[in-house]
This record gives sequence, structure tokens and C-alpha cells, in this order.
Amino acid sequence: MQTNEEKIRAFILNNFLFDANEGALANDASFLEQGIIDSTGVLELVEWLEEAFAIKIEDEELIPENLDSVDRLAQFIGKKTS
Amino acid sequence: MLVTNYLIASAERHPGKNALFYGSRSFTYLELLASSQKIASWLNEFRFDAGFRGAILNDDAFEYISAYFAILLAGGVVVGLNTQTSDAELSHVLDDCGASVLFTANKFNRYLKSALPRCSLLKALVLSGLREELAGLESCVQQDLGELNHCPCTASSPLPRRSSYDFAQIIYTSGTTGKPKGVVLRHANLIANTTSIVSYLQLQPNDKVMAVLPFHYSYGNSVLLTHLAVGGSLVVNQSFLYPNVILQQMVEQEVTGFSGVPSTFAILLSRSALAAYSFPTLRYLTQAGAAMSPELARQLNQAFPTANIYIMYGQTEASARLAYLDPAELVQRPGSIGKSIPGVELTLRDRMGKIVNPGEIGEIVACGENIMAGYWNRPEETREVLRPEGLWTGDLARSDEEGFLYIVSRKSDLIKCGSHRIAPKEIEDVLATHSAVHEAAVIGIPDEILDERIRACVVLRPEADYSVKDLLVHCRKYLPLYKVPHEVVVLEDLPRTTTGKIKKSELRPMEAYL
Repeated sequence: MQTNEEKIRAFILNNFLFDANEGALANDASFLEQGIIDSTGVLELVEWLEEAFAIKIEDEELIPENLDSVDRLAQFIGKKTS
Repeated sequence: MLVTNYLIASAERHPGKNALFYGSRSFTYLELLASSQKIASWLNEFRFDAGFRGAILNDDAFEYISAYFAILLAGGVVVGLNTQTSDAELSHVLDDCGASVLFTANKFNRYLKSALPRCSLLKALVLSGLREELAGLESCVQQDLGELNHCPCTASSPLPRRSSYDFAQIIYTSGTTGKPKGVVLRHANLIANTTSIVSYLQLQPNDKVMAVLPFHYSYGNSVLLTHLAVGGSLVVNQSFLYPNVILQQMVEQEVTGFSGVPSTFAILLSRSALAAYSFPTLRYLTQAGAAMSPELARQLNQAFPTANIYIMYGQTEASARLAYLDPAELVQRPGSIGKSIPGVELTLRDRMGKIVNPGEIGEIVACGENIMAGYWNRPEETREVLRPEGLWTGDLARSDEEGFLYIVSRKSDLIKCGSHRIAPKEIEDVLATHSAVHEAAVIGIPDEILDERIRACVVLRPEADYSVKDLLVHCRKYLPLYKVPHEVVVLEDLPRTTTGKIKKSELRPMEAYL
């Protein structure tokens, strides 16, 4: 079974990097700094997170501390689903 | 009057005032001018021809602005490049404009390494954070920007004199024929437009704008120039990835202005904590790119009660702006883009050039000092739009009895996606090079947030071995991320006219095919 981190990595790689190469995405890489996702990509990401993990993300939670890398996302999802 | 006069005059009037807030840093007018002058002196040593092209690929606001004015001070023409790029697009634009120098940063190395060796005219590369020289650029001087900014260099020879009629800037925009084309603007074009915008927005030195739009587009460029012209300040955060961060900055910096496109406001209203903030200092909001629905206007009025909302209309070919709707008319004239800005005359004309009557649909034709000199090295395309009547915008509109304009449609099939204008042909050309694709047609489909999403309709070759992911990977290889289709639909055939032309109008209600 895929871990949350693996699911998130797969989504980012498939939808934003279009790259099967696992090495193309470091878990601590900032989406903002590295230009991995644009502003509408974040909306797609949030929509997917809500559906894939059956959670509701509040508007106040849309901040880089929660969303700006695979590591941060995995941590955030962990907290939301625990 | 030259565009450089804005920075020089503001630095004289407000030397110690912060012109720019970027990240945790701030920069005074004097610091901006000093940096620009140092870089200009260095450029001057190359003895480039007057009107040389200096390109900038950088999203660091201080570095972008100082390079912008340095190129102008050294007698060059600025070419601001989209930082969301691809190897192919970068080398096309650098080659097309014949750039002699490129200002960029280490973070773009992944594009630079493959694009630059193909740019034979490039003589100098100024890199922020140059750690090691890039290979394959032996005939090109490579310089670290930080060293330039810290050197005590002064001009060893006078900077060249330029006139307001000289070219100042080339802004690349989607070309309907595929590859991006350069809109050439003279100093006089930019000055005329800046003067007009400053007057109708009533900008003052105490204005401080939240600048979220990239400076390489004409809208962002006009936000930059208008605020520097009046000695105001810019708070720059152009990522807009996390709108709550922007809202927090707006409050902390007590901004008086905010400029966006329809998707900016749609995102703020639908996925941010906007209701949790108040903005007592906010005086103006500007939106360009489309008219505003009464419902959106109501929501924005509620969220920003102290702000006047300006709906604006324009084109890169007009240095940015052609019309605006007075905020007092926003509720009474839903869907209108207003009337011409000061210094611009707009008429609606039929195909023969005859002015149409109120209520009738005609193409918007614009005259004014702000209208471009033409497209860079594209005389035929220039002649198509710059005719004796003025600039033919390609936008069809009607006016009411009082002269308020309402856009009806566009003649071209450019896709409006967020702040981007995208030529379907560019994506179609890339798709057509994939071995599995027989033919492709790309269209924009309505989207609540983005205005339009990109849909690629493809017909595959018989027994083609493919996956949608393959097609998207292929697109990303040649196109910037924002031009990669949001969805791909596989069809057996594309609908055609009797003459064999693809009928895109029949592709739009695609749900019928799915």
C-alpha cells in the first residue's frame, strides 16, 4: 500500500513535472522556489488532497508552512487525518 | 522624455524613500538608481550598437528593475522574458530579438545550459550567483551580478544619448501564427501610457501597490512604471501561489493599491482567507483582461469596501492600456470596459474601416501616442494591424448611446488562461511532432477560475502506441508549464468546413463527444 508521501509524490510528478524520473523531485524542494507549481496548480493540488484523503482544507490553511513541499504536505495530511 | 527619467527624477525627489519591498528586503530609490548606473557603465564598455537588445530572465524584483533601467541607460532596448519558459521558447526569443546581453540567475540554469549555446549573438551573460561559468559559451563574457553591484565602478565614458522616439522595450506576446512575437515600444509610447494611467488612477507619491503580476507582461510593466513615475512604492510578490501570504503582506505594508487579472480576484474570493482581513488603507483595485460580472463586483466591494474598482482594457500593442471604466459606473454598466483613457481615441469599425453606429458590433481600433512601433522583424504582421485608421485590436465590441464599450468576442482564437494569452497553434505544432499524433486542435474551454482551460483534441495515427501522459510529457519538453494542455481528448476525426479547415467552433461543446 502506498504511503501518503508516495501518493503525494506521484501526484506532483504526474501532474506538474510530467516526469517519471523519481529523482526529479526532492521531498524538501519548495514548490514556490523551484517553480514546480503555479498558482492554479495549487488549487488543483488542494482539490486532489481533499478528494484523495477525504479531508476538508480550510482557506486559512492554504499557507506555505502546510503545502510548500512533499515533506510539508505529508506532515499536514498526517495531522489532518490523525 | 525617456523612461529612465522616471527613476532619475524620483531618486532626486525621494532619495531615501523605499521604492521596492521584496521578500524581507527593501530598496530605496537611490539604491535602485545606483545599481542601474553601475550596471549601465559596465554595459557601456562593450560599445554595443545603439538600440542593442538586453534581455532579462529573472524573477528577483530588485535585479529585474536594476537591469531594466541599466539597459535603457546604456542605450539599449529591454526584453523582459517570461520566467515560466522552456529551452525552445527561450532560444527562440533570444534569437528572434538578437539579444547581446542576458541578465539572469542561477536557478534558470536548466534552461540556460541548452538554450544559450544556440544563441550566437549573445556577447555577455550576467548571472546572479555565478558559481562556475557555463560551458559552451566561450565567446560570451560571463559576469556575476553581485560583483557588479559591489564594485566602485563609475562611467569611464559618457552614456549614450537617446531620444523619446527610440525603441525602449520589446514585449513578447503570443502570436496567432505560433511562435511568440515581439511588440516594439518606443520611449514615447511607454511615457504616454504611463502618464495617462497615472492621471486616471490619480496616483500619488504616497501610493504603495501590491504588485503580484510579472513585470515581463505589459500589465505588470505598467504597474512598475506608473508607481516609479510618481515616486510611489511597490511591494512585490509575483508567485501568487499562496494568496494568504499576499493578503498578510497587504495588511502589514498598508498598501493603497492592488492590481490583478480576473483569475487573481477569483482565487482571492474562492480560496483565500480574505474575509479574515481588513484593508483600511486600500484605495484602488485594478483589473484588466476582461469585464467584471456584477456578482464579482459586489463581492469585491464587500471585501474591499474602501477601494475604488477600476476595470481596464488594453493590449501589449498599446503599451498596456486603452480603456477604463470609472469606478462610479461599475454597478450601472455591468460588463462594460468603459471608455478610452486620456490620450487615446477608440472607434468601432466594420471590415471596410467605416465607423459603426452605437449598438452595432465593430472591431476596436485605437489611435494614440501609446500605440506600438510594430512587431519586431515582422513587417507583414505589423501592416495587418497598424493601418491608416490606427491599431486594429482584433477585439469585437459594441458601444451604448453614451459611448461605453462592451467586448463581444475576439477575432483570433488566443486562449485566455489566468494572466497568460496562449496561441493554440503553438501547442498544436508541438503535438503534431509526436509520433502518435496524426493531427491536433487546441481550444480554450470555460473555467470559473482561469477564464479558460486548455483542451487538446487529438486524432491518433492508426495503431499508435501512446498514453495521455506521453503527450503531456512531450508538450512539457517543448513548452512552458502554463502552455501544457489541462486535458487531452482523443477523437476519431476533427470536424471540418467544406474547404477542409478545422471547425473549432464545433469542438467547443465537446461534452457531446465524450
